[in-house]
Amino acid sequence: MAKYFGIIIDEKRMTAIKGTSLEEKVEPIFGGALKRLVIEVSDELGQKVIDQFSKARFDARGFIEETPAAFKRLVFKKLVELKFLGPEVLEKALEEIPTIKDEIEKEDRELPVPDIDISDILELQKNPIQKPIE
Amino acid sequence: MQDIRIKDLPPPHGGKIVERIVRDPQMARRLMEKCSAVYDIKPNFFKGVPIRNVYREIMSVCYGFFSPVEGSMTKAELESVLNKRRLLSGWVFPYPILFDVSEEDFKRLGVGPGDWLLLRLKGEPFAILEIEEVYEINPQDIAIRTFGTPEKNPEVVKVPFDHKHTGYNIYCSLNPIILAGKYTIINEPKLRPPFNRFWYPPKKAREEFKRRGWTTVIAHQTRNVPHTGHEALMKMAAYIGDIKPCDGIVVNAIIGAKRIGDFPDEAIVEAHEMLHLAGYIKPERHMVTITLWDMRYGNPIESLLHAVIRQNMGISWHMFGRDHAALGDYYDVYATQILWSKGIPSFGFDAPPYAVPGGFYIRPQNIAEFWYCPKCKEFAYSDNCTHKGIYSRYSGSFIRGLLNEGVTPPPEIYRPEVYKVVVKWWKELGYPFNNEKYLKEREEKLEVDLPHMDMPEHLKKKIV
Repeated sequence: MAKYFGIIIDEKRMTAIKGTSLEEKVEPIFGGALKRLVIEVSDELGQKVIDQFSKARFDARGFIEETPAAFKRLVFKKLVELKFLGPEVLEKALEEIPTIKDEIEKEDRELPVPDIDISDILELQKNPIQKPIE
Repeated sequence: MQDIRIKDLPPPHGGKIVERIVRDPQMARRLMEKCSAVYDIKPNFFKGVPIRNVYREIMSVCYGFFSPVEGSMTKAELESVLNKRRLLSGWVFPYPILFDVSEEDFKRLGVGPGDWLLLRLKGEPFAILEIEEVYEINPQDIAIRTFGTPEKNPEVVKVPFDHKHTGYNIYCSLNPIILAGKYTIINEPKLRPPFNRFWYPPKKAREEFKRRGWTTVIAHQTRNVPHTGHEALMKMAAYIGDIKPCDGIVVNAIIGAKRIGDFPDEAIVEAHEMLHLAGYIKPERHMVTITLWDMRYGNPIESLLHAVIRQNMGISWHMFGRDHAALGDYYDVYATQILWSKGIPSFGFDAPPYAVPGGFYIRPQNIAEFWYCPKCKEFAYSDNCTHKGIYSRYSGSFIRGLLNEGVTPPPEIYRPEVYKVVVKWWKELGYPFNNEKYLKEREEKLEVDLPHMDMPEHLKKKIV
């Protein structure tokens, strides 16, 4: 059974692949709320990716998930370089994992907090409906 | 004509709710006088990371979540559970519940059958273990037999368990000496916020259901921040009932040392609560509750424990989805539903767990999958929607990956308020997921604080 590696395509990444054959392979998900590219790989290559990272795993859809964000950035970089949506992209990225080792380690300790206003939920939480019981 | 309305909550598993809590300080003092040694409860570690704390099991036993279990299992009880998933009394129970100590600690304690051991938590007296039997285990053997193997359980076990599985590691990290006997809490812990407002042990849960006038209640198991697929599951599954949909939807979050990469428990409980605070499910119909347990991720085996807990709380139906309480691909993704639709003979169930002697009153609501379909314009049920290539399937791992990359999940995945709860705890804890730092700090603080209680003089020099 094939396995899959998905790469989320935001505006910045879309710009990077504009005009290439990759652009037409971008698929909408969740009704277009997100866009992604999908690389299909063999079981063996999928397992090779999983084995590199302690948290990584196949999810129920057969996707390789919970790889570090630094690895996803590396895969996208290789994708842009090779302009091709095939397993070779992941193979190249695997070869270059040593170059992102520090980034991966840092990711396990810190991830930047999104800069969004959460005051509305803090307000809602001031009057919880469920109260501690004695 | 038969009245099909359900007028009462289901009976507890095993007939009555266990409650082994002494609330009278004088009585607690008298019980402590009978103890011959003191043991400070310590977490179990795997590769330096805490993965289990027996205090959570003591709480769940003594407050009746695990009724009819009353303490750490004897050797005969352990064998019965591993071989048949039944207690010696015949009631279904899936997991070994054990009080384990190292050989070194056992020698220092100098206790044996007939002795009482005072257990301290966070430096305060907490509970008493009435030692009935002392025996040795082989932790890895317990781990393998607990979860099964492809050879012995071919119906659902696909690959052998290994050290990538947190539950397997929990059993592998047990100490080799088991002290078996009943637990009694003598100094009632106080749950810390935010967990205190979700603490509904079985007796309290039943009182609350009665106060709300609920007789038909459905349980939703969670170890996750709810995405819109979970929300759809809860709402749709609750259409089961008697002459109308269920009165109550009870979310029961498993609180404890979970795997690295899962969401922190604080975010999980508050994110579920946010579904009613922000009005997506009426609070009159929705309750968030917790059970203290270091999750074993045992899919069909874990589902049996969920049935024990939730039936004891007074719940009549249980939602079982794809990959229920699972981790990795050790089990068939529908292993729990196989168990609850036809049974798994190799695990001791030649019929579903509600149709075997010693089984459950609680009934399954086996749900395939919800996905987001822009053509149906709804969170569609997989047995309805045929729009392959258009619909998008949910995946908790995928969503965690989005957060990792700094992508804000769209409202089709997370309600905005739910995402903000994740961000709140991200700010508070410095990280959105469980990591080593969080798990270590969490085990220091735990979910509870204990009031100060003086120990008898004769015990002060017998602390291990």
